[in-house]
Amino acid sequence: MTSRPTPYALRATALGKRFGRRGAWALRDCSFRLPAGRVCAVVGPNGAGKSTLLALAAGLTTPSEGEVIVLGTDPASARARVGYVAQDKPLYPQLTVAETLRLGADLNPGHWDPSVAEAVVRAGELAPGSRIRSLSGGQRTRVALALALGKRPELLLLDEPMADLDPLARHELMGTLMAQAAQYGTTIVMSSHVVAELEDSCDHLLLVGGGRVRLAGEIDELTEAHARVSASAETADLTGHTVVESRTTGRQLTALIRPDGPLPAEWRTASPTLEELVLAYLRNPRAASLTPAEPADRAGTTTKAGTGNATADTGAAA
Amino acid sequence: MTALTDERAVTAPSAAPRAWGTARTVLRLHRTALLLWVAVVAGLSGWLVWLTLVTAPAERAAIDCAGEDFCDSTVPGLGFGTPVGWIGMLVAYAFLAVAAFAGGALIGREVESGTARLAWTQSVTPARWLAAKLAVPALVIAGGMTVLVLVFRWSWHSDPHLVFEEWSGAAPFLARGPATVAYALCALAVGALTALLLRRALPALGVSPAVMGLLNLALTRLRPSLWPQVHRTSATVVVTPEHAWVLDEGALVHGRPRTGVPYWNCGGAPAAARRCLDDLGVTGYYASYHPQSHFWPLHLVETAVVLAVAALATAAAFAVVRHRTR
Repeated sequence: MTSRPTPYALRATALGKRFGRRGAWALRDCSFRLPAGRVCAVVGPNGAGKSTLLALAAGLTTPSEGEVIVLGTDPASARARVGYVAQDKPLYPQLTVAETLRLGADLNPGHWDPSVAEAVVRAGELAPGSRIRSLSGGQRTRVALALALGKRPELLLLDEPMADLDPLARHELMGTLMAQAAQYGTTIVMSSHVVAELEDSCDHLLLVGGGRVRLAGEIDELTEAHARVSASAETADLTGHTVVESRTTGRQLTALIRPDGPLPAEWRTASPTLEELVLAYLRNPRAASLTPAEPADRAGTTTKAGTGNATADTGAAA
Repeated sequence: MTALTDERAVTAPSAAPRAWGTARTVLRLHRTALLLWVAVVAGLSGWLVWLTLVTAPAERAAIDCAGEDFCDSTVPGLGFGTPVGWIGMLVAYAFLAVAAFAGGALIGREVESGTARLAWTQSVTPARWLAAKLAVPALVIAGGMTVLVLVFRWSWHSDPHLVFEEWSGAAPFLARGPATVAYALCALAVGALTALLLRRALPALGVSPAVMGLLNLALTRLRPSLWPQVHRTSATVVVTPEHAWVLDEGALVHGRPRTGVPYWNCGGAPAAARRCLDDLGVTGYYASYHPQSHFWPLHLVETAVVLAVAALATAAAFAVVRHRTR
């Protein structure tokens, strides 16, 4: 992995955005830190604020409150080092594939690696002379990704990148992205509402719901910090632990908890899968959020506390 | 494949190629509009050259009555004057098409379809993107407009007997000087601003020509006041110079200008006419007008006003982009 000037690719502090002076908040009080070199999944239901968060990081809109630091600087100054693919993959329909890549070269002087972009296009067997308007949705996604990767970004922001790709192309493009991340240490942030799509490739999670960050941290640490327990409903006492979700069926109590201390031996416990974890939090909007604790901030600046209470040991950025 | 492989070399990030890259991108994106504009400029110029070099001499020969017993010179130069008038109209109001292009295709479509965001997430800042989007078309439009104005002037002045529109007519007034270029540049800026504010192509396509039309209408109304008029009073009816743009004339009733005095009804013998005028209270006559020599002052003041509006619209467009993306 290449050395980096800042330990964090993204750092948000009380970030908020609303559209219009009296509009609803698309994102509110959002604080998290994403260490550089991670592949981060931004997960959440539709309309949760994922796209807003990525657009703020890309410098396409300005925050209504708080700030976001991208690669150690403001989003506008980081522009040349950040790749961004919007959800609807906008491209110029009147250009050909080759002309689109030439546009990438012209608009990214000193940052453009034509071989990377060409390789992505070639893998999709796209003719350089075909017009963008004649391409299918998946082919356009490929060209949009080629344009973003050709820039050789340090941070790649992808909004629902795989939504309209067939499974084969999805697998192949995900492989390209992971190779990019491994070879150049690129930080990748990709949003999706399909958790299974991200489980294998991502090592960091940002769960956004209702315009707030619900979970943030390394996926391993997050799943380790939680336990799926089942016990007898009559004897089990969950007090002392943070309960995300609990359900009683007959005499059986099943719950997803954040244990605070050792659990009784008679309880059956298991580590939740990422999907179980995400679904449990999304089903229970009142469950306490888990975001990285303050002492992990290596830059030395003390930031305002994020949403909810944060457990001190989890999510500490490595 | 060859088209792809010749891009191997990574360009050096010096200032010149950076600007060239964005300019090249703008030209590539609006190639069709560029070709259409070149065709329009070449077509109209060619038509004017043909009218001046081929049609005009033939017309002159037709109305040249020397040596003929009878000839009809009541409708002189229709074959020349009419098309030149129409071309003047097209040149003068070309800014409406520029406004529609700038609002719709140049900026509106980009903002609506999200390709503006694609451009803004490359390495050039949104402000530089807007600068290229305005500067490249501005150069192309100003160049084409200058050619059209020069060719139109040459045609117009080639034979004063064959044109039958006055210099003060709305279209010939604009088409014979830099105001046309100024209007086109203003339309570009206003179109860009409208599209950035409305964020939609179709509304911007409609609204920006409407705004420019209103600006033109207002300035056409104000035009006589853009330079001091000549006011003349006289004991006899004021004889205005040839080709003067007469704005007001009438009789002085007890020394005060008054409109609607039917002094023209007083005729007959001088004594009778005098008595008739005395009954009406007519003590003299007045006229307000712009002589033909006022063309350039009037034209240049209007050009300056339009350029000022263009500068304001450009500044506002940059402010909108900066405010939105910082």
